[in-house]
Amino acid sequence: MGNEHITNNGLAAEGDIVLEVKNLVVHYVLKKETVEAVNDISFSLKKGRAIGLVGETGAGKTTTALSIMNLVPDPPGVIKNGTINVCGYDILKLKHNELKKVRGKDVSMIFQDPMTALNPVMRVGDQIAESVRLHENVSKAKAYERAVEMLELVGISGERASEFPHQFSGGMKQRVVIAIALACSPHVLIADEPTTALDVTIQAQVLDMMNDLKKKFNTALVMITHDLGVVAKMCDEVAVMYAGRIVESGTLEDVFNDTMHPYTEGLFNSLPNLENREAELEPIPGLMPDPTKLPPGCSFAPRCKYATEACSAKRPEPRKVSDTHTVLCTRYDDPSFRIKRRQSNEQHVS
Amino acid sequence: MFIYSIKRILWLIPTIICVSFIIYALMDLAPGTVVDSMITSEMTKEDIAELRAQYDLDKPMVYRYGKYMLRLVQGDLGKSQVSGLSVWDLYTSRFPMTLRLALVSLCIGVAIALPLGIFAALHSGTIWDNLTTGIALIGISMPSFWTGLLLLFAFSYHIKIFPSGYNGTLASYVLPAVTSGFMMSASTTRQTRSAMLEVLRQDYLRTARAKGVSERMIIIKHALGNALIPIITQVGMMLAFSLAGSVVIETVFMWPGIGQLTIEAINRRDTPLACGGIILTLILFITMLLIVDLLYALVDPRIRAQFAPARRRKSA
Repeated sequence: MGNEHITNNGLAAEGDIVLEVKNLVVHYVLKKETVEAVNDISFSLKKGRAIGLVGETGAGKTTTALSIMNLVPDPPGVIKNGTINVCGYDILKLKHNELKKVRGKDVSMIFQDPMTALNPVMRVGDQIAESVRLHENVSKAKAYERAVEMLELVGISGERASEFPHQFSGGMKQRVVIAIALACSPHVLIADEPTTALDVTIQAQVLDMMNDLKKKFNTALVMITHDLGVVAKMCDEVAVMYAGRIVESGTLEDVFNDTMHPYTEGLFNSLPNLENREAELEPIPGLMPDPTKLPPGCSFAPRCKYATEACSAKRPEPRKVSDTHTVLCTRYDDPSFRIKRRQSNEQHVS
Repeated sequence: MFIYSIKRILWLIPTIICVSFIIYALMDLAPGTVVDSMITSEMTKEDIAELRAQYDLDKPMVYRYGKYMLRLVQGDLGKSQVSGLSVWDLYTSRFPMTLRLALVSLCIGVAIALPLGIFAALHSGTIWDNLTTGIALIGISMPSFWTGLLLLFAFSYHIKIFPSGYNGTLASYVLPAVTSGFMMSASTTRQTRSAMLEVLRQDYLRTARAKGVSERMIIIKHALGNALIPIITQVGMMLAFSLAGSVVIETVFMWPGIGQLTIEAINRRDTPLACGGIILTLILFITMLLIVDLLYALVDPRIRAQFAPARRRKSA
């Protein structure tokens, strides 16, 4: 047990890739139809870095996250293809008793809704300590001590460890969830819209805290959100998802300042403009395609103002624009093609 | 929580008044009186009238009821009119028999119901689920005297392995306890299944899985811990009912418990014994239900919080 820990630590040295998702395809197979939730996505993440998975509801972000934990509800979820490697473990091939050693220790997850994520009949301290007890060979008392420390780390007074979830507010519950996730200082932390269920003032606090803890534990972070502001604040890299595909990925600068994909452009244009508050928002027309009947060509083509016939006919291939920047758009076959992002609304990343 | 309990216990008083009045009224309306079995052919009309007067049967029912209640408020349950023994002594001498049978049946019932219910919930929608719920449905639909008679017929009459009534041996517990346990397990299995199904799709189980908790512990610790609340109600009710004298089972298996005592008293029109027995059973029953309510608080901290003094409650 101890040796394994050391090899893991050695494996995840600074700059090493701790998470690699390759050609992941996840479908939900229902009686009447098949929901194509995630269609061939790949990305990787180095120790201590943060990637933001951005996209609308239904883009496949949460399914991707659950796949990394191998927690996709089955049935109906089926992982059709792909590999996921976390710190050298081939997650999708692990047996249950090996998987439970990786979950919570090498990779852990923060869920969207803190209101329902905690067991209502267990004291919060015990819920944190449970994670420590499972992965580290320590006594009950020692684990509880660690739980109290973790609580203080997330800004909750340690004496509240003996209280129950219903005695905490939403923001504090999310802090407890974060404390559980970080209790064994995992190499990879997946945060699935950690602030969506919280009100705005609490959101900023929780994000700041997560940022601090991420630096402190040198954890790689997969931040799932639909809030570009959160991405700008927390992430080094961005992957924009649409209908189960990553349509554009790159560093924060690549995607925010040198936007290539029409969908990413649409996301930025639909943000309110801070400098010109009178300016009208420019929503992306139409709706996300039905994931049970994805169009044969580019999934975004029906909503895209630049779309040509070629877009609807053939599925776009990933196009490397630079070492870090990749875009999934057929229109770039034409070397003169450029998107015209509304300059006034550009969010520059310092 | 203390005040709550006191309130519940105080409610016993009007309940006892109503129940005892109803029993006195019914016993008066029923044909025959306690003296009927004491009359012999040599008695003259005067003798019979004297005997009736001895039991106040010449006076209206309200008089007898008033006299009984006057004694009751002094804590005196009176004497059996047939045997002359004190009602309290009779009741307490029979009660351990009922208690033992109830506890054994409860253990059997829970031992069947919990695993079966969890099993059905984990395999919901499959043939196993249908099979389990099917058996439970049969258990609910079969009246206990029928199940009891079938078991007697099979294991006491044809295959003579268990005695048909109480004879002081452990073996005599088997048939009545299995009958009663089977009845209990039927509804408890269904309750366990639905409670588990409800809990199994909760988000906190996913949190536990993400922590690396094994599937076994997820079911036992996280899911069952939350599903226990409705299950406890069911089990508590079952225990209350069987303590309150499983009259039918005690009759079928000739079990000398409080159910049989009360039935005998009613058959002999022994009004004080019937009334006293029923009042004591009522107190027992209501106390059991109160204990079940208090057990909730033990299992569910959210309910406990409602009883907590205001200063301990922190604003959410």
